[in-house]
Amino acid sequence: MVEPAIALYGAAYEKSMAVLDELLRESGARYALLLDRKGFVLAHKEALWAPRPPSLDSLATLVAGNAAATQALAKMLGEPRFNELLHQGSTHGMYAEEVGELALLVVIFDSSVPVGRIKLYGKRAVSALEGLTKDAAISPAKMGIDTEYRDGASALLDELFGN
Amino acid sequence: MSTINFAAREINFKIVYYGPGMSGKTTNLKWVFQQVPQDRKGEMVSLATEDERTLFFDFLPVDLGEVKGFKTRFHLYTVPGQVFYNASRKLILRGVDGVVFVADSAPNRLRANAESMRNLRENLSEYGIKAEEIPLVLQANKRDVEDALPVEMIQAVIDPEGRYAMHEAIATNGMGVFETLKAVSRGVLSRVVAAT
Repeated sequence: MVEPAIALYGAAYEKSMAVLDELLRESGARYALLLDRKGFVLAHKEALWAPRPPSLDSLATLVAGNAAATQALAKMLGEPRFNELLHQGSTHGMYAEEVGELALLVVIFDSSVPVGRIKLYGKRAVSALEGLTKDAAISPAKMGIDTEYRDGASALLDELFGN
Repeated sequence: MSTINFAAREINFKIVYYGPGMSGKTTNLKWVFQQVPQDRKGEMVSLATEDERTLFFDFLPVDLGEVKGFKTRFHLYTVPGQVFYNASRKLILRGVDGVVFVADSAPNRLRANAESMRNLRENLSEYGIKAEEIPLVLQANKRDVEDALPVEMIQAVIDPEGRYAMHEAIATNGMGVFETLKAVSRGVLSRVVAAT
């Protein structure tokens, strides 16, 4: 189809997790997420000391929406896109950077960490993740969803929403 | 297109509710949110103005359950229907797997339905998608309004070739809401299989 899907699994997934893990350790950030542009979470990692994160689905959706909106703004200004987004409040901050065409890296940190450090290690992580997500992009035709899967899912639809 | 996450063993589908302003897209999602049990849904996110008009989108993740070892999830989105919000409306369509078009049955909204459908086709084509390529389900909402137009008339305007299934609904009391969602979900599932 128009947009390839990212299927991150196996060794590539493990490597991505290792990148996110290192990013958290080096930067001192709370949470790191790898999303696709549609707002689905591909991988996420939380620092051991950090409190429970907010709903990751909501977070991912809002970040993807935000990135899409700023990209549209960038286009109006003659840029293909803004590579990085930084939001800072009094105690929390969020840094998002694009990972190639299809994915986004999101880092959430608090005021104990300097922004420069987040950016430095964020960019380093992005360059590591870029190759990984590129290799993981597949045409949806190869997703391996078969009729058995469809029938199973269809039965669950009836179960959840009634006949 | 759908996202498969082998690590978390998840398959995600994106369904977008489209239609003219005030046709009941958010109300559809709210009904689903109310009725689906706690463990099968995530948080509902609404980016709306103070008078509860959708400004950017509403979002609701619904867990279908596990199929062949894969957790299957539908991410439901609505767009802002108001004409002047097209820039943000277009963004929501990115990577869409299926569309529910919520039409308004009120006589004075017939034209708005037609315009919104035209707008949907235009926005899809900007992503290189033909409306014929993705599962599209029509919903004639607000069947309870006084002098609601006949369903055939609404269909003739938004789908003159009669290509798509039309479901009657009253989203405020849930009538037709699940039927519509089931229809589009089935369409999405069939399409992924057909593409394989």
